[in-house]
Amino acid sequence: MNLKDYKPNKLFDELLDEHGKIRPYYKGIADRLTGLSANDLNSKIRSLELLFLKQGITFTVYGDEKGTERVFPFDPFPRIIPASEWEIIEAGLIQRITALNLFLYDIYHEQRILKDGIIPKEVIYGAAHFRPEFVGVSVPKDAYIHVCGTDLIRDTDGRYLVLEDNGRCPSGVSYVLENRTAMKRVFPHLFSGGVRPVDTYPADLLSTLRHIAPHENPNPNVVLLTPGVHNSAYFEHSFLARQMSIEIVEGRDLIALDGFVYMRTTRGLRQVDVIYRRIDDDFLDPQVFRKDSCLGVPGLVDAVRRGNVSLANAIGTGVADDKVTYAYVPDMIKYYLAQDPILEQVPTYLAWRPTDKKYILENLPNLVVKAANESGGYGMLIGPTATAEEIESFREKIIATPRNYIAQPVVNFSQHPTLIDGKLEGRHVDLRPFVLWGDNVKVLPGGLTRVALKRGSLVVNSSQGGGSKDTWVFAS
Amino acid sequence: MMLSRVADHQYWMSRQIERAENLARLVRVSEEILLDDETLGRGSAQEYWSPVLQATAMEESFRNLYPVPRQGDAARFITSDLRNPDSMISCIRQARENARSVRDKISEEMWTEINALNMFVTSPEGIDMLDMAPQAFYEKIISSSMLFDGITEATLSRDEGWNFLQLGRLLERSDMTSRFLDIRSQTKAADDAQESLQWGAVLRACGAHTGYRRTHGGEISVEKVVDLLLFSNEFPRSVRHCLRRADEVLHDISGTPTGGYSNQCEKLTGAVLARLSFAGPNEVMAIGLHTYIDGLQKQLNAASQAVFESFVLLPNEINRHVPNRSRQDTFSDWQREQQQQQQQ
Repeated sequence: MNLKDYKPNKLFDELLDEHGKIRPYYKGIADRLTGLSANDLNSKIRSLELLFLKQGITFTVYGDEKGTERVFPFDPFPRIIPASEWEIIEAGLIQRITALNLFLYDIYHEQRILKDGIIPKEVIYGAAHFRPEFVGVSVPKDAYIHVCGTDLIRDTDGRYLVLEDNGRCPSGVSYVLENRTAMKRVFPHLFSGGVRPVDTYPADLLSTLRHIAPHENPNPNVVLLTPGVHNSAYFEHSFLARQMSIEIVEGRDLIALDGFVYMRTTRGLRQVDVIYRRIDDDFLDPQVFRKDSCLGVPGLVDAVRRGNVSLANAIGTGVADDKVTYAYVPDMIKYYLAQDPILEQVPTYLAWRPTDKKYILENLPNLVVKAANESGGYGMLIGPTATAEEIESFREKIIATPRNYIAQPVVNFSQHPTLIDGKLEGRHVDLRPFVLWGDNVKVLPGGLTRVALKRGSLVVNSSQGGGSKDTWVFAS
Repeated sequence: MMLSRVADHQYWMSRQIERAENLARLVRVSEEILLDDETLGRGSAQEYWSPVLQATAMEESFRNLYPVPRQGDAARFITSDLRNPDSMISCIRQARENARSVRDKISEEMWTEINALNMFVTSPEGIDMLDMAPQAFYEKIISSSMLFDGITEATLSRDEGWNFLQLGRLLERSDMTSRFLDIRSQTKAADDAQESLQWGAVLRACGAHTGYRRTHGGEISVEKVVDLLLFSNEFPRSVRHCLRRADEVLHDISGTPTGGYSNQCEKLTGAVLARLSFAGPNEVMAIGLHTYIDGLQKQLNAASQAVFESFVLLPNEINRHVPNRSRQDTFSDWQREQQQQQQQ
């Protein structure tokens, strides 16, 4: 593997500094990689992907008649974050989840932040995932987001920026764990001392879930609620349940009776105390939300209101990771914590503000436009690479429902050397660290580095041609 | 204690693998026999496959899909036709889907084996093998199923889940063994030599050739085959043996001592077992093999239905509470809804 042939373009490069020199914390891995031939590397990757396929470490591609399962492509060149950078990221993430949980508590109680005019009322009441019916309902430990997966990118100066907060059902953590296992198995000699381990995550997640048990129950029955085997993230659901030794249940396994939730077992009904749900609010309970849902449990929400069962994440957290609310997070941090944000975020234009809307409509070819309540890379326009028709169709949508759209300048994510056809080429990467909010706040060292495998592409989602890398945070 | 749905998935996972294995055994032997018969100029392929399709309850759907069957259609229908929900490959797919739903309850090795088998039968190599060397293809399914059984034996804790896996396999095996007997119950052999050849094939399909010779010697007769495959207490694929073990497993699940019953399933299985324990080939021949097996199959079906009702449906506890939303949530709606869950 010859690193000399690696020619990054002008963007921020994770491996090389502005003089083309290897950054000091990449020295070790660069030396060890140089000792490997591209062919060796390729055949190891192929055997690794076959292993993933055999183990069913796959996701399902929608819109494909056969519901094909695919392996999430894995790149062997790990992404490295030095301890000094990680300290800042970690502090920034903790600050952010703290502010978001205070915000959610406030929004579902006194709504001081609205009364004080920091955030316009319409922003909250217009958010698709706001649940006005939960105003005044208390949740255990006043915690709403227990598991957060915040997406970070680096701009051309190498600054880490928050791209979005995923505070409903963030996914991807199983790949962090499986990538590390695979990396250790297939490329043990690439490791040196000091890479911080990630395998405590399932235990930490379980203690986070046990922390919110109703009535301070010291021995709660914790379950993971999945939409089912046809969901694209089913592998992850089953992986986490197995790692935590808890039951993985579907809606049809649960039944709500007289304000309590039970699971149906071969020996009759057994009470459930905490549900780590990997299903959206809308589908939780057909008596309250979508009437046609067969995935949910009729009566579940009533049991939640009565405090007999706890949900993680709580109902209604979607108002905090809304792409319009996002624009106000720095204000929240100042308002609730009287601090300046540690992590910066991408400047955001809100289409419902007349001046912003004018700017957006005039600059569509240079902007990234996102639907406020979509995720997974759907409902997105990337101006510089879009066709004229795509731009016009977004223009119409924005004029029709401005509340649904935001726009941001194109931020060129940093790039990382990635193995493409036996050669190293620069590909855009982002980073999704995972934060757990339990009796204390824990940030999983590193997180999921997703890489856009298509040349020049900024879309890193697995459903749209993304891959992933192991992410190393050094202890010092 | 385990989730009812998980018990159901475990039960069906092993039933479907066992079914695929038995079908592979059946088709493998049938194709051999067919070659012999054709060489001898006796009967047509269609005449030959008809009782096989009948005994496996596939005849009607075969006739619908192949109104004018050609050579090889029947074997293809039983082996690889995905329109046939009971074809070998369909069974393997469903078994794999069930395994996927209970991945956290089975060992990594069990999952890897069943996932690999599913990948193989639908891979280009698998399809080539079925084309060029069908016998090897059937061998592969048979050995993979037996390997899965062995892996289960060696890697899975003896908990309730293990019991449900055993139950599925044992009930399916007893069902299939009785079906194998039924194949030859209605056809008349041209002569003694052909009759002996045909019953020999049934024995081979059940892997009972050696067992037969050791118990009954070299000469093959209907009564003795029936004795071994229905009534033997020792031969592991005999209906009686399978049901005796199923009975033990059921009592292990409920904690009731054998000999009594605490649920409908134990009652029904116990009743068939008693019937087999106190009868022999003479009673069967007096009633007629086909009639006898027909009755036996009805009882086996009732026992399987009772497994579902006793452990999965929990009618006594739940029925009055669960709103009936049976037919409207068709499978595809349900699947679509699972996919609609946005992944952040």
